[in-house]
Amino acid sequence: MTGAGRWCTRIVLTGVLPVVGLALLVAAIHGVTWGWAVAAVGFMLVVMLQTRRLALLAVWIDGPQPAEVPDSGGAWGEVFRKLARKLRLDARALAEVEASLRSFSEAMDAVPDGLVVLTDDHQVQWANRAAGEHLGIRLPRDRGAIIEQLVRAPGFAEYLSSPAGQSPFILQSPATRSRVYSLRAVPLGERNTLLVSLDVTDARRVEAMRSTFVANVSHELRTPLTVVSGFLEHFGDDSTMSAEQRQQFARLMSEQTRRMLSLVDDLLTLSRLEAEDAPASEEDIDMADLLAQLRAEAEGLSAGRHRLQVSCSGPGLRGNRHELHSAFGNLVSNAVRYTPAGGDIRIRWKLRAGIGVFSVRDSGVGIAAEHLPRLTERFYRVDRGRSRDTGGTGLGLAIVKHILLRHQAALRIDSQPGAGSNFRAEFPAWRLQPQRSTAVQADGEAEASAGR
Amino acid sequence: MSDHLSKQFDLELENIRTRILQMGGLVERQVLAAVDAFSSGNLDEMQQVIGNDREVDALEVGIDEDCTLLIARRQPTARDLRLVMAISRIVTDLERVGDKASKIARMSQKLHQSGAQRIPRLSDVHHCGRLASDMLQGSLDSLARMDVDAARRVIGADKAIDAAFNAILRQLITYMMEDPRTISEALDIIWIAKAIERVGDHATNIAENVIYIVSGIDIRHSAVAASKTDEA
Repeated sequence: MTGAGRWCTRIVLTGVLPVVGLALLVAAIHGVTWGWAVAAVGFMLVVMLQTRRLALLAVWIDGPQPAEVPDSGGAWGEVFRKLARKLRLDARALAEVEASLRSFSEAMDAVPDGLVVLTDDHQVQWANRAAGEHLGIRLPRDRGAIIEQLVRAPGFAEYLSSPAGQSPFILQSPATRSRVYSLRAVPLGERNTLLVSLDVTDARRVEAMRSTFVANVSHELRTPLTVVSGFLEHFGDDSTMSAEQRQQFARLMSEQTRRMLSLVDDLLTLSRLEAEDAPASEEDIDMADLLAQLRAEAEGLSAGRHRLQVSCSGPGLRGNRHELHSAFGNLVSNAVRYTPAGGDIRIRWKLRAGIGVFSVRDSGVGIAAEHLPRLTERFYRVDRGRSRDTGGTGLGLAIVKHILLRHQAALRIDSQPGAGSNFRAEFPAWRLQPQRSTAVQADGEAEASAGR
Repeated sequence: MSDHLSKQFDLELENIRTRILQMGGLVERQVLAAVDAFSSGNLDEMQQVIGNDREVDALEVGIDEDCTLLIARRQPTARDLRLVMAISRIVTDLERVGDKASKIARMSQKLHQSGAQRIPRLSDVHHCGRLASDMLQGSLDSLARMDVDAARRVIGADKAIDAAFNAILRQLITYMMEDPRTISEALDIIWIAKAIERVGDHATNIAENVIYIVSGIDIRHSAVAASKTDEA
């Protein structure tokens, strides 16, 4: 009230008092009638002035820029200034709110999970960008749409209308069918619902892979274990077994246990390779030396059944010798195992277009095209029976692939059923040592035949 | 949707739309499952598709009844009347699609049980099935959003299915000419492909109905439909 009183006083002081004063002065000089006339005209002027300022205020307040305060003095001027300041503050506060809202909605769009806010009658109120990818719900197109009309998977409507607390709804995406989403409805505020969608495609794939892997390992271990336990039972039951039989059984059992051991070794190798990204140590490998070693191993494995050719014309290679030996050895032993007696096996290390290529070519059974992409999967076997007969664990090529990956090398396989296979490991140029001497090449070129 | 004095009426219309779209969702999955089962030879899935068809039929009867009741009680006019009429036609289309899905499943069963597989399970059939179910999905999306442009796109996609069907036919004819023992198997696959092709036709019908609801123009059997889709 005091504020309003002060304003009244100011208006009286600036508007009313001068008029009254002037009127009294005129009345004293020219008589009462003139005094009244001057008072009337004066008050009229005052009213007109105030009305004009009121009009100015009305025009200004509608105007777009609150910055331009109309020039008017006295009490009205202050009103204008105060209003202008308030408008400026309001505009700033509004801009701040808008900015924070924008950054909030940007943050929501960056969330990888789909978020949809639903009203109590299941209309879409708001959705983030991931919801568009997962559920095909995009704003502003779908604002106000009923969610069950857009997400039509059978069972979803029931899930949404039943009380909360049950397990998430699994949805094959309507937009891209190859993906799987897990949907969960959470109460939001008093009446709304927040629908959260989570991409579980990869998690499910990994889960499936893990369970097949465990199943495979168990299966691989089970077979030799069954054999061994069968023999052991036999030993216990039958006391009249001849020494010869006993010996034969013992030999078979140790064969099976060796297989189990090599399987466990391979598994350990794989898990070690997976645990570390890069080899522990790297050195410059003398390839001629490594190939000579591989050759000796191949000769031992082949026992003279194959014609073996080894040639080394490439430069030295930088890498972990132990790992690369194991990878190359795997390829060589595969070639020996899958090539019938009398076949050819060629092991080569050479430089081709700046790339180091280690290749093992055989004239063996070959592999049909449909198997090639899956060949390096664990326990993937083209022919189950044959692989086990020759003592394979089903993990060899998986190990090779891992080792080569750690050396930034690529494994390429060409093969035709009946015509043999060619496995190549291609190493990038920076892993090769600069060509030092051609003399080494000439030495390494020595080819020999291990045929009968 | 337009404003009504009666909120209840709006709610009823919206409910019918939700129910038919839910039925569409079920039918959509039936088609996909049937086509997948044909490729994979999964007998359980085939049996499931055949069993689910009863559910589709029940939905058809229920929604049809809802439409009749709504017309009788509310006497809708203009766009609302078009909506109800179109929905009762779409229900029939969806039910037919459901029949096609269970037919595909039954045929796949027969193929699987007859044992001899002289013709590989053509990947074109699977591809064609995916095309058809994409169309169905597109037509239902256009119904959900009352989106005329999307509906026109669906109508335009029908050509691709027809082309795919003809390609399958040519392949099967080659098999049959080379070896007459493949004829009965080839015929079964033709029935399956034909059913898939019909799914595309029904999806087109649904899309045409969406255009009818929104714009009031009946473009069935008209050349205008084709020319307009070319523009779109």
